[in-house]
Amino acid sequence: MTITRRAAFMGAAALTLCKPAFAQAAWPTKPLRTFVGFPAGSSPDLLARIVTDPLATALGQPIVIENKPGAGGVIGIQQMLNAKDKDYTFGTTINGPMTTAPRLMPNLGYDVATDIMPIVLVATSPLVLVVAADFPANDLAGFIAAAGKEPEALSYGSVGKGSGAHLTAELFSDRAGVEMLHVPFTSYAPVTTAIIGHEIDAGFMAPSAAMQYVKAGTLKILGITSQKPFAQAPGVPVMAGQAGLPADFRAELWNAFIAPTGTDPAIIKTLNTDINTILADGAVQKRLEDMGWQAAGGTPEDLQQRIAQDTKIWGAVLDRIDAKN
Amino acid sequence: MKHDIHDLASGILLAAIGLFVALYAAGHYDIGSLRRMGPGFFPAILGGVLAVLGLMIALPAWARAGHRGRIAWKEAGAVLAAILVFAAGLEPVGLVPVTLASVLIASIAAPDRRVGWRLALALGITVLSVVVFHFGLKMTVPLWPGQA
Amino acid sequence: MSGWDGFLHGLSVALQPGVLIYCVLGVVLGTFVGVLPGIGAMATISLLLPITYYLSPEAALIMLAGVYYGSQYGGAVASILLRLPGTPQSAVTTLDGYPLAQQGRAGVALFTSMISSFLGSFFGIFVLILLSGVLSRAATAFGAADYAAMMLLGLVAASTIGAKHPAKGFAMVVLGLILGCVGTDVNSGEQRFTFGQTELMDGVNLVALAMGLFGVAEVIANIHVAERTGVPRRIALRELLPSRAELRRIPFPALRGASLGSFFGALPGTGSTISSFLAYAAERRISRHPERFGNGAIEGVAGPEAANNAAAISAFVPTLTLGIPGDPIMALMLGALVIHGVQPGPLMLAERPDMFWGLIASFGIGNLLLLVLNLPLIGIWVSMLRIPFRWLYPAILIFVCLGVYSVRGSSFDIFAVALIGAIGYALSLARFNPALLLLGFVLGPLIETNLRRALLISRGDPMVFLHRPIAAAFVLATAALLAMSLLQAIRRKSRGPDRVASVNGEAE
Repeated sequence: MTITRRAAFMGAAALTLCKPAFAQAAWPTKPLRTFVGFPAGSSPDLLARIVTDPLATALGQPIVIENKPGAGGVIGIQQMLNAKDKDYTFGTTINGPMTTAPRLMPNLGYDVATDIMPIVLVATSPLVLVVAADFPANDLAGFIAAAGKEPEALSYGSVGKGSGAHLTAELFSDRAGVEMLHVPFTSYAPVTTAIIGHEIDAGFMAPSAAMQYVKAGTLKILGITSQKPFAQAPGVPVMAGQAGLPADFRAELWNAFIAPTGTDPAIIKTLNTDINTILADGAVQKRLEDMGWQAAGGTPEDLQQRIAQDTKIWGAVLDRIDAKN
Repeated sequence: MKHDIHDLASGILLAAIGLFVALYAAGHYDIGSLRRMGPGFFPAILGGVLAVLGLMIALPAWARAGHRGRIAWKEAGAVLAAILVFAAGLEPVGLVPVTLASVLIASIAAPDRRVGWRLALALGITVLSVVVFHFGLKMTVPLWPGQA
Repeated sequence: MSGWDGFLHGLSVALQPGVLIYCVLGVVLGTFVGVLPGIGAMATISLLLPITYYLSPEAALIMLAGVYYGSQYGGAVASILLRLPGTPQSAVTTLDGYPLAQQGRAGVALFTSMISSFLGSFFGIFVLILLSGVLSRAATAFGAADYAAMMLLGLVAASTIGAKHPAKGFAMVVLGLILGCVGTDVNSGEQRFTFGQTELMDGVNLVALAMGLFGVAEVIANIHVAERTGVPRRIALRELLPSRAELRRIPFPALRGASLGSFFGALPGTGSTISSFLAYAAERRISRHPERFGNGAIEGVAGPEAANNAAAISAFVPTLTLGIPGDPIMALMLGALVIHGVQPGPLMLAERPDMFWGLIASFGIGNLLLLVLNLPLIGIWVSMLRIPFRWLYPAILIFVCLGVYSVRGSSFDIFAVALIGAIGYALSLARFNPALLLLGFVLGPLIETNLRRALLISRGDPMVFLHRPIAAAFVLATAALLAMSLLQAIRRKSRGPDRVASVNGEAE
């Protein structure tokens, strides 16, 4: 796998030197910049690079990744909006800065509806509910029964207020009619240790991060938050419609390409088409799957709709959290 | 009457900072309870402790003579101005012009009044930083104006 | 595969020419970025990460690891010669290394730090080979209450460093704790003391703080002074090396430091900072001449340097065996593995023995290389002091600015350096110890979040700190330490003021 990827990169590097035949009238004539609101080596950064490497080949210009980490991805978006050269600047984002950040951060500095032009949804990832391997219950119904004994009978870890893990757990608690104690951490690693060490009972996390602990026999997975079973979590039951949860129960993290408002719509269209082609490639899909993501794609309008939908769902969850405190 | 001016001033300043932090935390953030400490709990206590420590430094200093160091106003001004210029200029005008400008500003503080060595130094450091950061470490930063 | 067989197998991986060359590249690069003020392992590794796409996973990891521990060697150079620590760990090295350099004994300080780093690393490697299983269990055995108690011990132990003016020392620690509160509160999501600045949401940048407090403040204070004292005379090679009596003062502090470092480094969190401060505090406490500390004590360089290098090695234990990175640099290493489709975690040792043992073997090779590389360089580093300061300081400033910028590409952080530098200069005028501020800043958020988390998990029962055996041990140790210090202070008072002055004749 390493060999083929290296070969692909070399190929990409070689191809960027000669312009491809289909490049449309005079754009792009110089390198493009992609802002990533996370550090090099982080999952959003790797995801961006999986797409921008073949995209640079398709466009015939190099794409420079600018890592501007901070504030959960918000700084990257602020920097993208500050850049002057609109047609040559775009960015990648996770769901947070597009959906919940306007609620959680008073000084966001941008309005998602008016300042951002969606390009395409790149990939989605569900979360799995994990507990220690020796947790008394073995399925979702058993977990809900244990959690429902009394308020805060069980505790769960998240990576901070408003994080995907926190919001998903609260959405789950609401739909299942239970009340769990929220214990915030700074990253997923200590959440995992705390569950293994029996400090806390449960947590929602990415399937790829959880699977190896399952194999090692220290954690077990009780369910997944996607609507369909997930390739990276074989045999894990879908939570929706189970143990009293509604059939439309769904919680997914996602990753998307966006551009600042004012970008030529024709350019958005070109980028959308090219990235959709890249995402349809089996090798790209495989690489995304290895990292625990599922390739998405679709039109800019699809992404717009996804943003609106999630803003509503998570907004309601945040209302519930605020009402509790 | 002699006072230890440095300790007196720093003690009072620390006490003021502590007081501000404690009051700001108490006024803006939830203190919470022992079980669920709020975001204001720690800063409020720490601010109070710092205020007390500041006074503990300042009060004895009133009654005691202290050493009097020379304050390097000119050096501080040149160094801080050079950093501020660098911060403001790096992204808009690029690494090369901003490094030249910052080195020249920083070198104002040097006791050697001639100009030649300053220019040589500015050029040398500029070349060095471009080689190390742009070519060596491949940092994404514009080199010239108009690349951002 | 037992530890020893594994190590031998690892040697066969790490000695392949295609891998070895990257080990060499990594440690050489690490040494140089460590020496350059401002830019450290963190920035270098994140800038190099995209390049490692093109390497085999073993070569990539071995190179990045080389940069990491190589920069620990280099970091000591800037701390000793220029009082420019890039990290809180090397801030401890300035306490005695810089006074040594000012006394014209920079070569001795550098030699001590190199040899102690080497001893510390090899100690760490042996611990890793023999005890990696035990150490990886320690990481899951530690809960929030245990961490909070451990950090508290570290804080109390280290606070005694500035013993001449306890109030001034404590004030710096508390100021550091307050600065550590800036940013998003983990528990409530509240933005504390950010005053509307998005850039402050993740807190004050550690590198900007270290560079401003030490580097910029030191440059301002020295421009005038350095010109007046002039260029130091040329030093004979023999003077670069420690005397036999001094040499004898290295091994035991280094071994003690290395044991502390190996243990604390394996705990995810900030083990390496705590261990170097603890090593310093321990050496000072058991020394028969505590008054030497702060004035150029060899032990004050040897202990902490051995500790942070041992910690740098054992920090790989939780990262590789549990998939749990202890600090941001380890998180980057984890990212480097994920790029190559390797998922570090409980299965790594069984699934990728080549990589695991190859890396550990490369630690041994790399540290040997570092020693061979760095000992001859001591002469060159020392002669750097002969460059007139007016040529040196503008370069230092530019490298500080670029180094801070490289951490996350933020101009805001360079502005922060200017402000922190001004504060740092003011603090140095009033003779405060900035190392303690840095310690408070690093430990503060960890103490706060772990304490609050422990109380949350225990449903508000403070007895959790006594019910958990690990936490209770740390709480007792902290109490014992406080009682000891108090007793000492009372005894000193009863002995009269003259004695106090001579015992505490240390630099602030």
